[in-house]
Amino acid sequence: MPKQKLNPLPSAAFQILLSLVDEDLHGYGIMRQVADQTGGRMRLGPGTLYSSIQALLEEKLIAEVGAREDAKLGNERRRYYRLTSAGRKLARSEAERLADLLRVARAKNILRGDYV
Amino acid sequence: MSEKIFAWLLHLYPSHFRDVYGEEALQLFRDRARDEKGFISGMRLWLDLLADLLVSVPREHRYVQPQIIVASVPLRFRVLSEESPRFGPLLFGGLLSLLTLATVPMFISNFGNHRGPWPTVSASQVVLAGLKPDAADRARVIHGVIENLKTYYIYPDVAQKIADALLAHEASGDYDTVTYGAPLADLLTRQLREVSHDMHLEVVYSKTSLPDRSSGPTSERLALYRKALEENNCTFEKVEILPNNIGYLKLNSFPDLSICRGIAVAAMASLNDADAIIFDLRENRGGYPSMVMLIASYLFDHPQYMYSPRENTTEQSWTQSPVPGNRLAEKPIYILTSARTFSGAEHFSYNLKMLKRATLVGETTGGATDVGTFHRIDDHFGIGIRETRAVNPYPEPDWAVIGVEPDVKTNAADALATAEKLAQSNLQKYGLLK
Repeated sequence: MPKQKLNPLPSAAFQILLSLVDEDLHGYGIMRQVADQTGGRMRLGPGTLYSSIQALLEEKLIAEVGAREDAKLGNERRRYYRLTSAGRKLARSEAERLADLLRVARAKNILRGDYV
Repeated sequence: MSEKIFAWLLHLYPSHFRDVYGEEALQLFRDRARDEKGFISGMRLWLDLLADLLVSVPREHRYVQPQIIVASVPLRFRVLSEESPRFGPLLFGGLLSLLTLATVPMFISNFGNHRGPWPTVSASQVVLAGLKPDAADRARVIHGVIENLKTYYIYPDVAQKIADALLAHEASGDYDTVTYGAPLADLLTRQLREVSHDMHLEVVYSKTSLPDRSSGPTSERLALYRKALEENNCTFEKVEILPNNIGYLKLNSFPDLSICRGIAVAAMASLNDADAIIFDLRENRGGYPSMVMLIASYLFDHPQYMYSPRENTTEQSWTQSPVPGNRLAEKPIYILTSARTFSGAEHFSYNLKMLKRATLVGETTGGATDVGTFHRIDDHFGIGIRETRAVNPYPEPDWAVIGVEPDVKTNAADALATAEKLAQSNLQKYGLLK
């Protein structure tokens, strides 16, 4: 049983999946990538970040790929995370679902009188 | 010192969380503390951390209990090793929560950074509905479409033709294998357009339950929209003069005129002495027709008709040109487009292209069909029906579905550089380049 329910997928978990699409990242890397991809609107704190990571690991949507140093951040070893194919699939279907939702939202609002 | 405080705060989390992620959380804290120096950044870091604690600590503890209740298949009761937080951390946590609550307005203003008139719907607000195909559901949708068209469509004869076509499809079992959901919506949309040739007709399927017909944007949403506009300079992201006296306006929506008229007028005035203007609409997702008309007013020296499939032809279909004191009516105009240029931005681009008033540079636009009124059919289906009789005066169809094709095709990313070059060579030709 996952620790944290992922259905519906919380936006933090979705952002984490997206952040790992291009490369494996450690926790801080994920946090920075999420901040980047949301224009700074979402800065994941440690609690939210690691509880989401834990839930995604349990659901096998991401996987740990061992610990190594990040030369840019000193010689501490860091756990890296990687998107699994199930995670990629879920991210894609979530993106499609949001696109669908946006389309409907747009139709509902705009069609009443104004473009949006 | 601050790391020690944070390490102490980590005791608010359940022990298994600390055991697994405590060290990483501390590492993350050190990374951020190192990268976010200075008073403001430091404040923001602590606000983030406190807000995160406020949200995630209760959640971590709350999720302990449901595990026991709902663990029906893989039984993993490691929760039994949990302990409650001790009094000290609880007290401190409570105080911190109060402090955080006091800062909530700041926090909200940071997160309420919406770009469009409706607030973004977070993933967590949405329930994934798994609906099974069902003949009765399909029939309800098909007959709902017919009924709505007969009631609302401006061309009753076409509505009747569509009704006949749909009923014929139904009688011959064409819908029997179609899933109640997006496939049915897409099929019906295609059939509606086949008969009517009206690309603005659209059957829409929503996985999430559609709100009642009566619900419009709430005053809260409108207040959010207004606030977002005020915080984002009414989506006039950049107004500047590029080298060679080329004016550049990056506009990310056509915002509500009643809120943003002042900013729009100021922006256009600041470009008044430019020798050419580049409108960057690559991230413009639309907005209000009245703002489209206001901006367009600066680009003509006489009232100009701007076709809109959304509205019947009225006085508002002409620009309010000439604008007193304006010097842009004769200046070359370039519009940057992308596949994300949408709706109101397509209204602007399409007309200026058809009038040969602007050169469009970039990608074909998104092709919004958002014209008309949305009618709810059932919890998941609705239909958008155009209710105006505006006649397109141009030989090319409007942007619905197909989008507006640029005059100069290039990747959206390269559009600005390309337009700058075009503008420069154009100015050179007329001896305006200094």
